[in-house]
Amino acid sequence: MRHETGTPGGTRSAGDDTPSGPALDPVVNPTGSGVHLSPAEAANPALEADLAVQPEVEEPGAAKRGFSLGLDRFSGLYVWALLIIVFAIWVPDTFLTVNNATIIAGNEAITAMLALGIIIPLAAGVFDLSFAGVAGLSVAVTAWAQVEGFNPILAAIFAIAVSTLVGAINGFVVVGLKVSSFIATLGMSSLLLAATWWVTDGKQIVSGFSEGFLDLGNTRVLGIPLPFYAMLLLAAVIYILIEYLPVGRYLYASGGNPVAARLAGVRVDRIVFGSLVASSLIAGIAGVVLAARIGTASPDIGPSYLLPAFSAVFLGSTQIKPGRVNVIGTLIAIYLLATGVKGLQLAGAPSYTDDLFNGLALIIAVALAARSARKV
Amino acid sequence: MSPTPALEVRGLSKTFTGQRALVGVDLELQPGEIRALVGQNGCGKSTMIKVLAGYHDPDPGAEVLVDGQPLALGTAGAGDHAGLRFVHQDLGLVPTLDACDNLAMGHGYERNRMRLISWRREQRLARETLRDLGYDFDVRQPTSHLVISQRTAIALARALSPRSTPPRVLVLDEPTANLPATEIERLFEVVRSVRDRGVAVLFVSHHLDEVFGLCDTVTVLRDGRHVITRPVEGLDEDALIALMIGRTLEDFPAQAETVGEAGEPVLRVRDVHSGVLAGVDLDVRPGEIVGVAGITGSGREEIALALFGGVPRTGTVTVAGREIEEHRPDRAVAAGLALVPAERHANAAFLESTLRENVSIVNPGAFLSRGLLSRRREVSEVTTWLQKLKVRPPHPERALATLSGGNQQKVMLARWMRQKPTVLVLDEPTQGVDVGAKADIHVLVEEAAAQGAAVVIVSTDHSELTRLAERVVVLRNGRVADVLRRPNIDPDRITAATIGQSKGVAA
Repeated sequence: MRHETGTPGGTRSAGDDTPSGPALDPVVNPTGSGVHLSPAEAANPALEADLAVQPEVEEPGAAKRGFSLGLDRFSGLYVWALLIIVFAIWVPDTFLTVNNATIIAGNEAITAMLALGIIIPLAAGVFDLSFAGVAGLSVAVTAWAQVEGFNPILAAIFAIAVSTLVGAINGFVVVGLKVSSFIATLGMSSLLLAATWWVTDGKQIVSGFSEGFLDLGNTRVLGIPLPFYAMLLLAAVIYILIEYLPVGRYLYASGGNPVAARLAGVRVDRIVFGSLVASSLIAGIAGVVLAARIGTASPDIGPSYLLPAFSAVFLGSTQIKPGRVNVIGTLIAIYLLATGVKGLQLAGAPSYTDDLFNGLALIIAVALAARSARKV
Repeated sequence: MSPTPALEVRGLSKTFTGQRALVGVDLELQPGEIRALVGQNGCGKSTMIKVLAGYHDPDPGAEVLVDGQPLALGTAGAGDHAGLRFVHQDLGLVPTLDACDNLAMGHGYERNRMRLISWRREQRLARETLRDLGYDFDVRQPTSHLVISQRTAIALARALSPRSTPPRVLVLDEPTANLPATEIERLFEVVRSVRDRGVAVLFVSHHLDEVFGLCDTVTVLRDGRHVITRPVEGLDEDALIALMIGRTLEDFPAQAETVGEAGEPVLRVRDVHSGVLAGVDLDVRPGEIVGVAGITGSGREEIALALFGGVPRTGTVTVAGREIEEHRPDRAVAAGLALVPAERHANAAFLESTLRENVSIVNPGAFLSRGLLSRRREVSEVTTWLQKLKVRPPHPERALATLSGGNQQKVMLARWMRQKPTVLVLDEPTQGVDVGAKADIHVLVEEAAAQGAAVVIVSTDHSELTRLAERVVVLRNGRVADVLRRPNIDPDRITAATIGQSKGVAA
């Protein structure tokens, strides 16, 4: 959750009448487990992982912590492998096929793109609940523009421009009007739903798409639909942005401690504004890709992505860089969940298993991560 | 036979890991007495208040009696029932709630026949309680909308609340620190009327004029020990200061010549107003270390952030000719100004991040190579700084939270030293830092100055200022009231200057 920026808390010095010394040091708890736990930060076995790769650290207890059965930052990969093995034995004829693998890869591309998009505001410490609505509007606008006779490229550009504008409005409301991001983007979701109804007239648009546009969404390269590659490209761009450009540092700094970030010269307001624009832009792109893939538009398309994308990002924040939303962790989370769900479906589980599995996996993973963070 | 004391403290000691904050302190307050509790920073006043409030557990053997009844120590709220009440410096109000809610806190609400809260009765009660103290304002306003004197009134009214057992002892911890002068007299009227009702008042203040203006008796603490308890009558300010610092100060010799002040100042501060700061001027030259001292509420807390542009202010601040705007810390950084703020956890630290990220957050762009951050260069430069500053352990990939306070503070310094700042502003740089790290930090500050940085160090630790500063600027009531220069700087003189009358030459 976004902390209030404004007057930093340090105008009053607390130690006015107290002897200075280790006893009064607020950091009497060097494990960091006393630090507040927000959802994404709750998972923080980072300390453990650091100790593991640096055996020369002369800390008591470091030596005996060589191997731990708790969640570590690669546990998602182990679980994923385990799932594949279990289902390969359980339903070998249908699960362990190239066809199945490509279906999973393709189906999850849109969710993955949307999840990658919200990593950016979540890293900066703000929520964007409107991304699903933006994607839905983007689908509708892409469809509507083509029905109206625009060529598909113009339609796509228009949809993405509208999405970006929504992000700018979100940014203005959060940064300029100082409305909590949770509330601002929740309200925006509702507005977007209304806008999508208006564009589609409340009906499903099923015809009017250009043929070439639909081909793009369903062409396969090496057996995998194009959207999967679009998602990989997006992941690479965001990965570089977050890990290898200064703006990535500013994002995490703004999310980690906005007051400190500001006093270190980070323009927190701009970072937050930009993060909300970025997630809407990406949601807009994902909407265009989704339109190409499914060839229909209706008001109920967007909102169905809200929970899966958020779950994936939070589950992903227990992986690779525990305690932080991150790109690779998010991708692992998405494909781990998709593998589990698909396997259960093929094994004959009823259709509600999807949501059941996703929900359980999220809660259990984050709870385990919080537990292992406490144990450090 | 003497009457039962309202408050009796016997043999109160408090040891923080290896450090004795209070040593066998005795205290006795009679009903209807206003007692001042004074002493310089670190004398144990705050610790004593916190023990009485049940926030700290005292060392075994201590005894506290309220109205003759022993008090359960180390239990928050135990004193409340016994009639031992507090108005803490921060008042302890919930800013989003109004006076009714804040007054009801800890007492419960007035209910009607349906067992629902009767807001009508609540409001009437709140209005009456406040009117008894001489205050009249809208009790439905959130307290954040009220002025400080009205908020003080609410805290006071809560402490004296008739809903609980009658108050026996009222402890006021720096109640005037943020009050305007006219409101102080009004508060004193209230305190006197409370005393006249037979309540004992323990009044903690740095302002000696308030001690003389309000209190009947005074207890002086020094280095955690009880020095003296006596009537205020017959004391003067100099004598009281001498009791607080433990020696008599000779009159200041003529101010030392202003040697070493050649050269153009790189930091120029003109007529800065911010919070209580009311027109501060300051010049600092390259290589110079200037200390800033002042009691709580003197503007000492605000000045570092005001210089940096981190809080609203007026007036001009220039660094090497470049003006530092308010609200643009990024431009302050670009102009060569560095700030190590007070309250590390709130204002500087990224606890979950690595040391590497904590150091390189200011200007990570320096590590770009062919458009991307070079992790290799970053790690090597950060490691160099961690080693130079003797951070233990000097591992750039450790999370900051895993380090001790002293080492965390060194990381904050590394962040700014790396920028080779033109002006380095440090606010309470050794707050909550162990002795070894403190010495290291002092050496670093001197090295920074030796390399040409203009250093401003704001501190309540007067030995620290004596150790480092060539010049100490003393703030009182938001203005520069005094300037001490070497060789006339020592901790006692600084203390005397922060609380006493102006004796040096104001600059």
